[in-house]
Amino acid sequence: MNIADLPWLSIVIFFPLLAALFIPFFPYEEGKVEQEKTAYRLRWYALIVGLIDFVLIVIAFYYNYDFSNPGMQLVESYTWVPQLDLKWSVGADGLSMPLILLTGFITTLAILASWPVTLKPRLFYFLMLAMYAGQLGVFAVQDMLLFFLMWELELIPVYLLLSIWGGKRRLYAATKFILYTAGGSLFILVAALAMAFYGDTITFDMSALMAKDYPLKLQLLLYSAFLIAYAVKLPIFPLHTWLPDAHGEATAPVHMLLAGILLKMGGYALIRMNVEMLPEAHAYFAPILVIFGVINIIYAALTSWAQRNLKRKIAYSSISHMGFVIIGIASFTNLGLSGAVLQMVSHGLIGASLFFLVGATYDRTHTLILSEMGGVGKKMPKIFAMFTTCSLASLALPGMSGFVAELMVFVGFATSDAYSSTFKLLIVILMAVGVILTPIYLLSMLREIFYGPENKELVEHEALIDAEPREVFIIACLLIPIIGFGFYPKLLTQVYDAKTVALTSRLREEAIELADTSSPTGALAAIQPFKAPSLSP
Amino acid sequence: MTQFFIQTSWLVPIYGFLGAVLALPWSVGLVRQTGPRPAAYLNILTTLLTLVHGSLIFRGIWNVGTQEVVYTWLQAADLKLSFTFELSVLNVGFLELIAGLSLLAQIYALGYLEKDWALARFFSLMGFFEGAMSGIVLSGSLFVSYFLLEMLTLSTYMLVGFWYAQPLVVTAARDAFLTKRIGDVLLLMGVVSLSAFAGDLNFNHLYEWVKSANLSPLTAALLGLALIAGPVGKCAQFPLHLWLDEAMEGPNPASIMRNSVVVACGAYVLIKLQPIVILSPVALSVLVAIGVITSVGASLVAIAQIDMKRTLSYSTSAYLGLVFIAVGTEWPGVALIILFTHAVAKALIFMSVGSVILTTNNQNLTELGGLGSRMPATTFAYGVGSLGMTGLLPLGCFWGLRLGIDFLWKDYPWLVGIFLLVNALTALNLVRIFRLVFLGEPQAKTYCTPEVSWPMALPMISLSVFTLLLPAVMYKLLLLPPWRYINPVAMALLIASGIMGALIGSKISLQKTWSRPVQKPFRLLQDLLAYDFYTEKLYRFTVVFAVGSLARLSSWFDRHIVDGAVNLVGFASLFGGESLKYSISGQSQGYLLTIVIGVSLLSLLMTWSMW
Repeated sequence: MNIADLPWLSIVIFFPLLAALFIPFFPYEEGKVEQEKTAYRLRWYALIVGLIDFVLIVIAFYYNYDFSNPGMQLVESYTWVPQLDLKWSVGADGLSMPLILLTGFITTLAILASWPVTLKPRLFYFLMLAMYAGQLGVFAVQDMLLFFLMWELELIPVYLLLSIWGGKRRLYAATKFILYTAGGSLFILVAALAMAFYGDTITFDMSALMAKDYPLKLQLLLYSAFLIAYAVKLPIFPLHTWLPDAHGEATAPVHMLLAGILLKMGGYALIRMNVEMLPEAHAYFAPILVIFGVINIIYAALTSWAQRNLKRKIAYSSISHMGFVIIGIASFTNLGLSGAVLQMVSHGLIGASLFFLVGATYDRTHTLILSEMGGVGKKMPKIFAMFTTCSLASLALPGMSGFVAELMVFVGFATSDAYSSTFKLLIVILMAVGVILTPIYLLSMLREIFYGPENKELVEHEALIDAEPREVFIIACLLIPIIGFGFYPKLLTQVYDAKTVALTSRLREEAIELADTSSPTGALAAIQPFKAPSLSP
Repeated sequence: MTQFFIQTSWLVPIYGFLGAVLALPWSVGLVRQTGPRPAAYLNILTTLLTLVHGSLIFRGIWNVGTQEVVYTWLQAADLKLSFTFELSVLNVGFLELIAGLSLLAQIYALGYLEKDWALARFFSLMGFFEGAMSGIVLSGSLFVSYFLLEMLTLSTYMLVGFWYAQPLVVTAARDAFLTKRIGDVLLLMGVVSLSAFAGDLNFNHLYEWVKSANLSPLTAALLGLALIAGPVGKCAQFPLHLWLDEAMEGPNPASIMRNSVVVACGAYVLIKLQPIVILSPVALSVLVAIGVITSVGASLVAIAQIDMKRTLSYSTSAYLGLVFIAVGTEWPGVALIILFTHAVAKALIFMSVGSVILTTNNQNLTELGGLGSRMPATTFAYGVGSLGMTGLLPLGCFWGLRLGIDFLWKDYPWLVGIFLLVNALTALNLVRIFRLVFLGEPQAKTYCTPEVSWPMALPMISLSVFTLLLPAVMYKLLLLPPWRYINPVAMALLIASGIMGALIGSKISLQKTWSRPVQKPFRLLQDLLAYDFYTEKLYRFTVVFAVGSLARLSSWFDRHIVDGAVNLVGFASLFGGESLKYSISGQSQGYLLTIVIGVSLLSLLMTWSMW
């Protein structure tokens, strides 16, 4: 059998799920020592499964993925429920491929990061592997209904992981998370059904849905439905409040997944559905997206500064960084869109590393309140060094991936011809304010944790041991791509360039057409900044 | 052979970074048996390599002329960024200055940080520092310069925070980073808009673009202000000047670099940007204004400081203010010579100050005295450095200041006054420090003060000799004007101002035990200057307070309004469910009533249009 003919993506998605089914067969034992042994075996089992799956992903893309092709690749399609025209169809293009790779990478590292988990290890690793499959599925499936199923599938493990292994207020946080996201995903289902039943053919296939020509009013409706669903996930102000709670209560590995991958689903779906399927409506909504993006950046950065809880602080910083993704998506330039994708990957890596370090610090200090820490740099120089490096990456220091991504969004937006120059100037200045706010809260955080004289109370009561090799390894794994993309972004941009170029040019064509045919339509067009972007051909 | 050295010029900044990387095993504690010394030697070696390679390039291009080397970096969509090195006599000359001072500072550090447990980390950071600086002077592209300025910000942060357990370092490192970062981000805005306007960020391309640029005055002004914001932060100019004196909490060998060449790097970028800034007359006037405010203000503030390092750091700000004036009046040549000569003299003074601090463990001027006879080499170095910094004898800075006065003589006579004033105030302050530290009776902390060991004395004496020989070097490099162009009046004025300052400095009464004046106005003046015109307090009560309150406001809003709304929905649904359960009473009249009300409401709604 030819290596290219294997159903690679299906294998990659189902492998962790099947492997997870074997976990209940690990023998249950009485006694502390035996239980620890089982936990030890379990985590190696999960880690090896994760690693194999990651290697499979790499092999699949290495042999079958062509960077210069903007279309779907590794496509598989099997009929599942013929009456509904529901198919198991997966595929990868420039948008999903980097995110699938990121998922494999971060999830494997998250499993490695869950070494200290000793409570109910069977269930924990089962859920982690189930998450693995669910996340890969979200990025790979090419069928609307299937997408909805995968979206929901990945919620349940997160809910359980939050509510069993979380902090003090874990039940509140988990319930809030599930209500928020499940509520949001209802809109996906409704919009998906509306799209599927529109026109003469009933289909859930994404490419077929993309080809349908929806009237503008329906597009606007569908767009808002999707936007609500993905605004919860991304998150966009004011639908973000589940995130600080969920992030504030989760354990480090779950945290890594939440920040590293789950937020990216919002951005991915926003590009995949809102931008790709409803380009006309996107032209109307883009200015609103830009404004929300700026609000995200500044509001979350300010709020982050006022947080006294370390996890919540980093959680708000995540929200702030996702603002750049939104602005990039709405920039109508290839550079901006490219920057948005890069920012998603980059934040996936940086966010995961920061949250992992927060977890590692918490394991030692047993407090998350900043004023109860202080001066621990002397006892934990390695964690200090790693925390500093990752914070610098997060505040977009040149030479790190965050800088390249934010710079691309900046330049992309500044050179965009879709907006008036006053609007652009205003937004760019506000974005710059956000970029200045980032070091304020991150450096203050470092100062409060590590600098200064040692906090006597803390040093006396807690054993502040320095990072162990496993932790250094995880951070090193995350830092290598962060710095690699920072110095040579082409490594990543070449992977998806063909796709973003094609997408941008399509988007621009639609926007130009729109500007030609129907200039002042829609309620939003009446307000000046909400005017549909006008592009000249 | 020359061609080979020019082709491999990209290696020059790499040497410094390489040294930083090579020292890592020692700084993270992987290698312990050997102690941290090998890391230091490795870094000194790479610095030596930079120096030698630089001098070979210098000799190569002295006859050939300027060379340009280009490497493509990022080519994403329509954004094209490349690493460009421009090898001109000027750039490579500055590179040599940086490498030379870095070498001396590192040898000096061997002695200064002899017993520090983190010696290897320090040398790592110095290598990083040096790599970034060499890159900045060689870079021929605005983007690379920006990139490396940020690297410089980073290494300043690390070096200031080197002794991170000290209480004052805590805020100093953060403030240094933040202040510079504000400038950097504004500069980035300028870079972004330039790339949108001009399409390419190579300096030579930008200069071409400026000739045909057609910007509205407002855009040009904004662009110019954004471009100068970066150097304002880097060179510790008003209003972003606070970080430099706080940064004096870091180890002294880094202060040597910071006060001489690091600030010069910021100014160097400004000089390269000058042909673009001239698009906007507003920006040029702002440059002059910033320069005047900083040079006069910082000179005055310096006189009231009692911390030896801080008073000198203010004087650095003052001299960089003169550089800003020179750039603002479109005399970049003056700016370059002042930068060059100031760097040498200031580095020497800081070496001498470091010796005093190490020997006495004290940097409070009021607690020192009588070191002159005990530490002859240090005293000599301080004296030579001071003479080199003021326009008194024809040593280094004399020629820089003279050139400035000459050029400004006709168009801006009032700026000549500023130059003279700064010269006089600097001379006054240097004499004041000299009297407090080296003359007078020995104090409690200065009785037992042997001269420093040779790793510190050697670089100090070498640099003293170099400072004395600087005019000869400048003559050789054709930087001194021929005799017939010299304006005797200007020269006389300069010398007179220097003598004035020195005389006043030697006459004012310096009480060690009680240095507060008795009269109230003088006390207020002293406080005003000693606390840097209360700028820090002003910032704390305005900008910091505003951002802090905004942050608290948004946090409160987030918790109570946004999240409160969410919780309200949750509460409402729970409450609704709880209260609805009372309707399940099992009494049929209750159900009947519900049905009747429901049906009547429905029919009311359905027949609404008929009413």
